[in-house]
Amino acid sequence: MNEKVFEKISVITSYNVEKNQVIPHKIRWQLRDYFIKKLSYYHKVRDGRTLLHIFDVTDGNLDFRLRFNSDDLTWMLEEISDGYTT
Amino acid sequence: MDTPLNDNAPTIMHIDLNSCFATVEQQAHFHLRGKPIVIAAYDSPGGCILAPSIEAKKLGIKTGMRVREAKEICPGVIVRDNDPALVRDVHSKFKKICEEYSPWVTPKSIDEVVIDFASTPALKIGLINIGHEIKKRFRLEIGEWISCNVGISTNRFLAKLASSLHKPDGLDVIDHGNLKKTLSTLKLTDLNGINIRYEARLNAAGIYSPLDLFNAKDLFLKKQVFQSIVGHYWYLKLRGYETDIYDSKRKSFGQEYSLGKKTNDSEKLASLIMMLTEKMGRRLRASEKAAYGIHIGLIYSDWTFWHKGKKFTEPLYTTPELFRKIMHIFALQSGRKIVTKISVSCFDLIDIKYLPLGLFDGDVEKKRKTSLAIDKINDRYGEYVVTPALMMKSKKTILDRIAFGGI
Repeated sequence: MNEKVFEKISVITSYNVEKNQVIPHKIRWQLRDYFIKKLSYYHKVRDGRTLLHIFDVTDGNLDFRLRFNSDDLTWMLEEISDGYTT
Repeated sequence: MDTPLNDNAPTIMHIDLNSCFATVEQQAHFHLRGKPIVIAAYDSPGGCILAPSIEAKKLGIKTGMRVREAKEICPGVIVRDNDPALVRDVHSKFKKICEEYSPWVTPKSIDEVVIDFASTPALKIGLINIGHEIKKRFRLEIGEWISCNVGISTNRFLAKLASSLHKPDGLDVIDHGNLKKTLSTLKLTDLNGINIRYEARLNAAGIYSPLDLFNAKDLFLKKQVFQSIVGHYWYLKLRGYETDIYDSKRKSFGQEYSLGKKTNDSEKLASLIMMLTEKMGRRLRASEKAAYGIHIGLIYSDWTFWHKGKKFTEPLYTTPELFRKIMHIFALQSGRKIVTKISVSCFDLIDIKYLPLGLFDGDVEKKRKTSLAIDKINDRYGEYVVTPALMMKSKKTILDRIAFGGI
């Protein structure tokens, strides 16, 4: 199952100065907390001049694609998937 | 006189990311790892598979198959869309790592680069060591699921061949010491540039294996087999000499679209053509070119194909200029059949700094500047913020794609 969500969410992150890396640790979506176990991939994309930071993370059960908008400093859950076909 | 084998030490490295589109998707989506997945142009049964994962390849799923065929082989295969931004990001990280070893890094496509180490200090470390180091760094700095094949040789052709010997995650060297032995284990179609038709042509000349091709005389290849200089190039590159260094210049810009809902409705088709033209026009203007030629191709629902190209005396630069000419050609179709695929392209390019100025069309310059201003607005605020009215209903229908051999 792979579902596009595009909902604003709450996120707790940390910043590692040695690695110069931001890591999401916990997200709250639809009143449920998900604890992130792994940052699978990070990349940046531009929508016009707006810089969007994309974090692909997993809590061990589900994969989440999170988007941080550097213009308005908001987090959005873009996509959720469990790695199965249906 | 026969040319001897190139016995210089290898200085060319070819790096090829394994099942790039699929591997990158597995890197980003943890739960897709180790599963048969395919990246398809569309996830409908007729969608073309752009890249199967290593696991899917092991089941017999190949690039170019339809999603329907892949599901017949493996009903549980996961079908995903292409994510161009993600793949481009991996490409730029991968190229950046390679550039730390040599200033001569040439991307051959989104998942392949060629590194020339000639006269670089990296040669002292040894190319095999560098190859292993690059593999390690890809895993560490890009992602642990990213693997690549490394081929090392004296020319680009043999380096690419070496990179294809042990997939996935291989590292091979072809030099004068093992060249004949390596060729003896391969089929003609294993050589880059020889497909089934080419193989038949070689068979007709009595060449049945890469070793036969290697043993053929220069003059025989040039005069009888290939009947052109290409035969001489094959003779040289199989002996380890470089024949593939050239600057490829862009000669055209094109866009194509497969219709989800097939139609012969002129208004809908015009809207899609406008969308394609706008994308093509943006790329044309971004590269500071204008075009004298326009081409349109249509595939109909009965699988017949119609296409027409035309050259004009005045250069085309703005989207309205390009669109008017395309629609002019589009109107030349003999009937109005149901269309399943549209492609547009422009060719015969000229640098805008050499654009001739018309004597009587003073407002052309104004229109061109307006077009550039609109492009700037779209660059700043996002794609399709300002568009021609004809595109209003079909915004974002045309998806971003990475072309074969493109980045």
